[in-house]
Amino acid sequence: MVRAFVLLAPGGPAPCRVLYARTFGTPPGAGPGGPRQRLRRKEQLLVVARQVASQCQLLQASLGRPSSPQLPQLPDEPVSLQDAPGGVFQMSPGDPFPERVTVVWLSVLALAFALVCEPQENLSLAEITLRRLAPRLLLSLRLLGPGADVLLRPDAADGLLDRLLPHGQMLFLNERFLQAVDRELGLKVSR
Amino acid sequence: MSPCNDLVLSCDEIQDTKLLSLVSSVLLAQGSRGEVAAVGQRVVQGLERRLPEGQSARFLLPVLANVISLSPGSLTEEQTNVVSKKLADWLRYASIQQGMAQPSGGFFSSPRTKQPAPITEVDGAVATDFFTVLSVAQHYTQDQWLNVQAFSMLRNWLLCYGGKELDTLNPGASAGGDSSGTPLVPVPATPGRLLPPRERLRDKAFAYCQRLVEQSTRRPLKKEDGDLQKACLIEAVTIMDIICKQDSSYVCRAVSCLKILHSRICGDATYARALLPIAQLFLNHSKQAAVDSDAIYKHLFSDIPALLFHNPSLAFEFVQFCKDNSQLFTDSSSIFRQSFPNLFKFLAWNSPALISEFVDLLPFLLDPGTATEIFHLLLDLPCLTAALDIQLRAAALPVSEKAGADPAGKPATCLEAFHHPLYRSMFQYLLRSRAAPEDAPDSLVPLRQLLGSLAGSPRVVQCAETVPVLLELFFRVVAEFADGSLINQLVVLLLQRSDQLYDIPAFKEDVYRVLGSNLAMLCGLRPALVVELSTEILEFSGAVSNIQSKEAIFTHMAWAVGEFLSVSHDKRCTVEQITRFFETLEAVLFEITQLRPQASTPSCAPRAISVLMATLTKLAARSQDLIPRVSMFLSKMRTFVQSPAVTSVYCEEDLEEILIRATELMNLLKMPSVAQFVFTPPVASTRFQKEVNDSLPLALRMVTQLLEPAAGSMPV
Repeated sequence: MVRAFVLLAPGGPAPCRVLYARTFGTPPGAGPGGPRQRLRRKEQLLVVARQVASQCQLLQASLGRPSSPQLPQLPDEPVSLQDAPGGVFQMSPGDPFPERVTVVWLSVLALAFALVCEPQENLSLAEITLRRLAPRLLLSLRLLGPGADVLLRPDAADGLLDRLLPHGQMLFLNERFLQAVDRELGLKVSR
Repeated sequence: MSPCNDLVLSCDEIQDTKLLSLVSSVLLAQGSRGEVAAVGQRVVQGLERRLPEGQSARFLLPVLANVISLSPGSLTEEQTNVVSKKLADWLRYASIQQGMAQPSGGFFSSPRTKQPAPITEVDGAVATDFFTVLSVAQHYTQDQWLNVQAFSMLRNWLLCYGGKELDTLNPGASAGGDSSGTPLVPVPATPGRLLPPRERLRDKAFAYCQRLVEQSTRRPLKKEDGDLQKACLIEAVTIMDIICKQDSSYVCRAVSCLKILHSRICGDATYARALLPIAQLFLNHSKQAAVDSDAIYKHLFSDIPALLFHNPSLAFEFVQFCKDNSQLFTDSSSIFRQSFPNLFKFLAWNSPALISEFVDLLPFLLDPGTATEIFHLLLDLPCLTAALDIQLRAAALPVSEKAGADPAGKPATCLEAFHHPLYRSMFQYLLRSRAAPEDAPDSLVPLRQLLGSLAGSPRVVQCAETVPVLLELFFRVVAEFADGSLINQLVVLLLQRSDQLYDIPAFKEDVYRVLGSNLAMLCGLRPALVVELSTEILEFSGAVSNIQSKEAIFTHMAWAVGEFLSVSHDKRCTVEQITRFFETLEAVLFEITQLRPQASTPSCAPRAISVLMATLTKLAARSQDLIPRVSMFLSKMRTFVQSPAVTSVYCEEDLEEILIRATELMNLLKMPSVAQFVFTPPVASTRFQKEVNDSLPLALRMVTQLLEPAAGSMPV
């Protein structure tokens, strides 16, 4: 199961920002509820985001790419995920979640997407899920300018996650099933 | 927690499944065990009964999956049986015909009903067996959706409820007991006799996985389906492993199916990630099946890392596999342990992502047989990165260019050198797949120099930054098991290799720092080595250039000589030896404290001067003929410190410290018997005695104050 999904702006010189995050359920007995719990969850996701940002920057450096990639000129231009850098890393128990988690991440343009998974999760499927979420989420975002100033439509993001990652459950969807999901959502994804 | 009762959400009255799913996500976020259980109960209720028209169970299964992942004990045994039965049906009996498109209406829509077409495989062939996630259709029916959902949650369900009972809500069930009537002997499925729900689910799940294994090697018409095939394959093998653990009667079938699969995919690099769960299954069960799986492990550890080190996901999963099966590495002759050079290739190429994994893995790779080879390997890790880079580039060249190198001349580029006879064997050694302590070439120095052109590459630099961490860990682990001869060997190698490091300045600085402090640690573990390795140590300490270029190592070495070169640590320490060390170190100190330093005089850190003075004093305290020489030397330090040429090189605080130290030592030597006691305490065997030794500077200051009570300018 996926514990959380995070959409972040890695920054470069700028500090990284979490633009959108969604957790799928809170493990019971995790401490006092209410605002403190929500704050702790926010902090935990920020730690994940910072780690993703630093892994992303290090990978970009080792691939010899500039750290602030250019945005496509037209907002409707299809974004190619062919060479999108991505990776996997683990975070030990206690730092920041009580149990061990594995984070799968993907970087597209000036943004990064991350799935926080339970330890023995199918990482191949996680990567496929991310590669499907990324272009569809980017379709829902309106790019206001260079960098990561995005105007989010959280309802669209929520709806997308409800179909492709319902309650944190990754789905083994082949291309035809995916087309059916796109039809249900009313998305036109270039193939 | 809510301000008023009207705002409390409850899932009890909701009939619409989509709404129920949405409300559940709010309820499950509360973090309350009661809420999770209530959601679980409601969802199972929804699955049990026939749903109202237009509602689909499709939206309920993910909620259930989340419930059991958050709180496994939420369901009663009856409920898990109900769900297991449904899952088995959905997995096995989904419709094998394509669904119908929603009627689009419109003027030209055809009134006649079309015949539903059969489902196809990913390669276009008509499907001849039951529906799975790899079945293709234009439109899908509800039960086909349920098939996909059921498989997606199958692994977690089996892990949670497939085996022995957990403590569920059923008060009658004893924890881990067999009150459900699970037969201890697996019941074979005979036609006409229905298996209990858990066993039936296992049976259908296993058949589903076998079908997926067959489907996953077809050539897909759409490229993206290829990625899904591999993910399905990995999931199918993992589920088979779980089923075999829960019911060992499946082992034979699993093993024979996977042997065939392995031979089909082992040559295809795109299926490499699937080799890991296959190997895991064999590790878990091949003994029971009496099957020889050594070829599988050999291929996995010898070939895969060398070919696919540059694939970050494979690298991560491979290292996880090693960590999960760390008991494999305890046998030093096994293929797993012997392949450690291959494992380090993953780290060399993907350093930032894998360094913390390797910190966990390294202790399992270290033993007396591998310690020295791993020591060399760690120091050469950035070279390995550079060599792997060249290997990749060389492989990408067209064949005609590869043979172009002129064997007689020197290679112009690293790429040419890869095939050049002068360098080929060095490259081969660095890029070896197996541990080979005897095959080490005499020196890799030419190769390191050649690879110097890549020292600025970001990947190499990132790798170099991981080395000090691993070196520190290396010494900590080795200190626990090393015997005398290994410690001696490591000290000699340490001194040798300090000259032979890859030329990245920051890297060398950090490595010297780690080597220096651990050199002191090793000498503390085995003080006798100062006597046993006196030749090597004298050679190192006598070279004045070492004090400048490798200050950290030199300083710790000099300190160790001062601490441990005495009869109380080793009976073989003679007066001649003490004198010889004294003279060597005195010459170095003399060289660096000249009153009129020339351009060639090395400048060195003030700490080195202090340590050398202290060491000479300590040696003199043990061989009292040397005291006059030291005293005279120390008395000259005042002039040294005040000389104008020197004050321009060192800062004022440092010079003052040096002077204070020189004065203290000089005063101490005025009382030779006290000096001897202070500098040669009994070998500290208890913690208290160690603490006494650590407070040496304090002791020195006290003695000085006793001797010079009128010295008002003495800082406290």
